[in-house]
Amino acid sequence: MYAFLTGPMLWLSFAICILGCAWRAYMYVKGLNWQLDRVAYGHKPDLAVKGALKSIFHWLIPFASCSWRAKPVFATAFFLLHIGLVIVPIFLYAHVMIVAERFGVSWPTMPDGLADILTILAVLAGLFILLRRFGLSEVRIITTRQDLGIMAISLAPLVTGFVAAHQSGDGNGWLLAHIITGEIWLIAVPFTKLSHAVLFFCSRAQIGIDFGTKRGGQRGSGIVW
Amino acid sequence: MPEGIYCNKRPITTEEELKALLSDTRGTKYYEEMLSLEVDREKLWATIQKTCKSRTKTWLDICARCGLCADSCFLYLVNDCKPEQVPSYKIQSTLGEIIRRKGDVDNAFMRHAMEVAWSQCTCCNRCAMYCPHGIDMGVMMGYTRGLLYSQGFVPWELKIGAGMHRVYRAQMDVTTEDWVETCEWMAEEQQDDWPGLEIPVDKEDADIMYTCNAREPKHYPEDLAEAAILFHIAGENWTVPSEGWEQTSLSMFAGDWEACKLQVENVYAAIERLKPKRVIGTECGHAHRATVIEGPFWAGRPDGQPPAPYIHYVQWVAEALREGKLKIDPAKRIKQTVTYQDSCNYIRNWGLAETAREILSYLVEPGYLVEMTPNKEHNYCCGGGGGFNGIGKFRPQRNKALLTKRDQILATGAKLVIAPCHNCWDAIRDLEEEYHIHIDWSFLKPLLLKMVIVPEHLKPKDEDDGDEE
Repeated sequence: MYAFLTGPMLWLSFAICILGCAWRAYMYVKGLNWQLDRVAYGHKPDLAVKGALKSIFHWLIPFASCSWRAKPVFATAFFLLHIGLVIVPIFLYAHVMIVAERFGVSWPTMPDGLADILTILAVLAGLFILLRRFGLSEVRIITTRQDLGIMAISLAPLVTGFVAAHQSGDGNGWLLAHIITGEIWLIAVPFTKLSHAVLFFCSRAQIGIDFGTKRGGQRGSGIVW
Repeated sequence: MPEGIYCNKRPITTEEELKALLSDTRGTKYYEEMLSLEVDREKLWATIQKTCKSRTKTWLDICARCGLCADSCFLYLVNDCKPEQVPSYKIQSTLGEIIRRKGDVDNAFMRHAMEVAWSQCTCCNRCAMYCPHGIDMGVMMGYTRGLLYSQGFVPWELKIGAGMHRVYRAQMDVTTEDWVETCEWMAEEQQDDWPGLEIPVDKEDADIMYTCNAREPKHYPEDLAEAAILFHIAGENWTVPSEGWEQTSLSMFAGDWEACKLQVENVYAAIERLKPKRVIGTECGHAHRATVIEGPFWAGRPDGQPPAPYIHYVQWVAEALREGKLKIDPAKRIKQTVTYQDSCNYIRNWGLAETAREILSYLVEPGYLVEMTPNKEHNYCCGGGGGFNGIGKFRPQRNKALLTKRDQILATGAKLVIAPCHNCWDAIRDLEEEYHIHIDWSFLKPLLLKMVIVPEHLKPKDEDDGDEE
């Protein structure tokens, strides 16, 4: 069971995640239409690249957009959640060791203590975002079951991974749960709203090109995100 | 009754149809008929499959439902933060729902969607600046309007407006003859004060071709005279086309894309016929949006550019002041508290915030300009954009929407609002009429004429002077 989950199933999960995301990005770009979108794709490439990068950058960096600054509490929760979900797993000592053992490549890792803190903060941030969904009427009205589902799918590997790393004794139930929930998360990415892992970049680049080449990017200070 | 006499899926294409619809005062019968207008579900779904591509689909799918758009929407804020006014909700409960149901929606749904599309969104695009995914609800609401229009669910005034463009290539019944006569009349009227002033019609290879808003020749022709005087003072070599002078597009507000194309092609044909070095449009926001920003795409121009460089009036004014073609008498600069209304269409959606400030630096004595909060690209809609001003059925909602601008203006303490946009100008006039906050509002042209230094050689020589010489 353990061998299957850490062997073929892990390969399959990563393959589905990566190929699925590539497919989503490919389909996104393929479906862009200059006349329907009313954006002159392919023209003014310098402004387009500048607009796209600016649009992504201002939202990828904490508090670099007006919207993040207008909602500091939500922005903080948002970034803590994403750091826990994306940065921590990549630089986690235990994960890097597995890669090193199997493929002989490794990269710098973060101290376990920091990883623990970031994981706890990410789970708390996720719970805060969930509570906010019910607490604020403007968020409650647009919340769907999928939004709750993907939060559960995303928090599960964090919680199980944290417990697995800190449990005493040698039962590997939590570790198995961590691997299974991690794989569910990977597989869910291309098929759910988690596809924003790649479509965020597509969508932000597109609106950046729109504002950058058409809606004033060449005048004044350009669009101010 | 699947199709009404007044309310149906057919666009207006003849003068007779237009007059018939106009005769239905306030659209009483039109809206009655709308109650039983059938939805052509197959056509609706077929249209969506053909025109709803990855950008819009992705916007609808990946919306994180975070609600950050709520506070970006002035209609959400001014309507007591009603959750139904959250931009994400407005688009998901209309366009999103039509797509989820594969077009299988009924009459009541479409009438509700019409109310949302035209009274709960002015397509100001402010939400696009606040959404982490860059989702532009204004653009999507424009698309939704197109779907609704194609099914006959469109406010009465905008069905007429789109029909006007189809019949007259103008938003009002101003014919080519009316227009040319107005130009001649305005030029003649000015001869005493401005000897030699011309409004040259159809002059080829001029430096400037000027286009305007049909309301100017129809209701305030003095605006055209003012434009002519300012070009005259600046010594510009300019012209107006006899055909293709109308820059606005109520069809854009209506979502009648075919009429949008017809209208803008008429202007582009004039540019190609007269070959001006560049084109300058009047002080109108949506006219600029329709003809310069979106128009090239309707007309099938893949580079997104009109046939000649096409600038907004504020760009010409800033340039004329910068280059000294227009000189302001320092003694006549504005010395009362004044504020500037940033039009969504050419400020947020065309980047002219700093250009407008450059003009103000010439016109307003330092210390007298008080900016609204927020301002520039982040400014709120005037309250009447996207066609909202003109729809009688939604007048109460529009009047409520004006409160945002009223309070923004009041907070500045300004007594004068400079509003170089017809829609904003109207909205501010209406908010003064509705709420009496004792302010004035103005386009740039009359202000410039009050302050500009007139070169000696352009002043009328009275007869006595002539004799002495």
